[in-house]
Amino acid sequence: MLSATTQPVVELVDTPFFPQRDFQCGPAALATVLVASGVNVTADELVGRVYLPGRKGSLQAELQAASRSFDRLPYPLPPNLPALLSEIAAQHPVLVLQNLGFESMPMWHYAVVVGFDAGSDRLILRSGTEQRAQMSARKFMASWERAGHWAIVVLEPQSLPASAERSRYLEAAAGLEAAHRYDAAARAYGAALQRWPDDTTALLGIGNVNYARGDLGNAESVYRTVLDIDPGHVIARNNLAQTLLDQGNPHAALAEITAARAALSDARLAPLLAHTEDAIRQALRSQERPPP
Amino acid sequence: MIRKSLQRGCVVAVSLSLLNLGTPVVATAGIIDTQTAIEASRRDADLATIRAGLDRAEVRQQFTALGVDPGLVDTRLAALTDVEIAQLADRMDELPAGGDLLAVIGVVFIVLLVLELVGVIDIFKKT
Repeated sequence: MLSATTQPVVELVDTPFFPQRDFQCGPAALATVLVASGVNVTADELVGRVYLPGRKGSLQAELQAASRSFDRLPYPLPPNLPALLSEIAAQHPVLVLQNLGFESMPMWHYAVVVGFDAGSDRLILRSGTEQRAQMSARKFMASWERAGHWAIVVLEPQSLPASAERSRYLEAAAGLEAAHRYDAAARAYGAALQRWPDDTTALLGIGNVNYARGDLGNAESVYRTVLDIDPGHVIARNNLAQTLLDQGNPHAALAEITAARAALSDARLAPLLAHTEDAIRQALRSQERPPP
Repeated sequence: MIRKSLQRGCVVAVSLSLLNLGTPVVATAGIIDTQTAIEASRRDADLATIRAGLDRAEVRQQFTALGVDPGLVDTRLAALTDVEIAQLADRMDELPAGGDLLAVIGVVFIVLLVLELVGVIDIFKKT
């Protein structure tokens, strides 16, 4: 099963180990990958951040969310073994969800894959109270498949995962923006642009980060760059309109939002554009009103 | 007199900052965030940002009910994206919560042991 790998044996022996306590494999596994990425944290410190007492466990979304809080990029891997092995070979330990029970009676468990040996067809994991658990590739694949092949790497935002796919990576970067980690998001978008130059989603992200930091001038110019590449990008045009409004130029803003609404073909975005237009029209009205 | 107004100013500032804790999102007026742009590029997806306010209230309630430290509820909510919040609001009960194996006891243990020996599952650690 592991025979297709380029390297026969890899083991990330420096990966730390946090033996889990009680039901807390989530904090333990997360601490393992965070520390490996250079964060100074312990499993105990993460309990309050990711553990759900009422569920006696941790949710996948919260492991990703907590990674963002430390300015790390959680990247969900493409759901296949070669992607997982490519990350190990690139020195990135991989946090996986396993179902060690079965479909109808699941037993969810987080562990960290730190190595593989193609010769003996085994994977090496930090798992539960075992620092160096070995699992046959066949059994691992069965447990991983029952958990939807879910795996993440947790990286410094400027370093691309070995298995980086454009849309997956950008979605992960956008997660940092959504969690208000703007510096980390900017680094992730920058890395995306190096790999995929002129990607309008990464550029939009850089514009949004500039806007969120209050750097309206740069936000405006990046939104305009997106529109140079893709004049029909209604979201960039909406954001440009909002930025112009904030810069005290509601007339220019109105022209942009009007153009955006005219070009809009996706009804789901209509309320968002209408919201922007409302704000612009309100600003125009208060400009027209004579001062008291 | 000055001291009193200073005090009052402090109270207002603290109150405002406390209020602000409860609503960590929607700071950026009409800006459409990048995640929404990515969602919009998928034809089938509803936009999580549209329902984010209600969903966050729902997840906050569930977090509290599930025993999350009240002082950390907002921190945890703030690190989740609108898409993740929508997912949690819809089906937090069904989503996997990775925990431990110790919850399994009694008869179940024996059933599992048999399955283990037969090689169907792998939950018991071997060295």
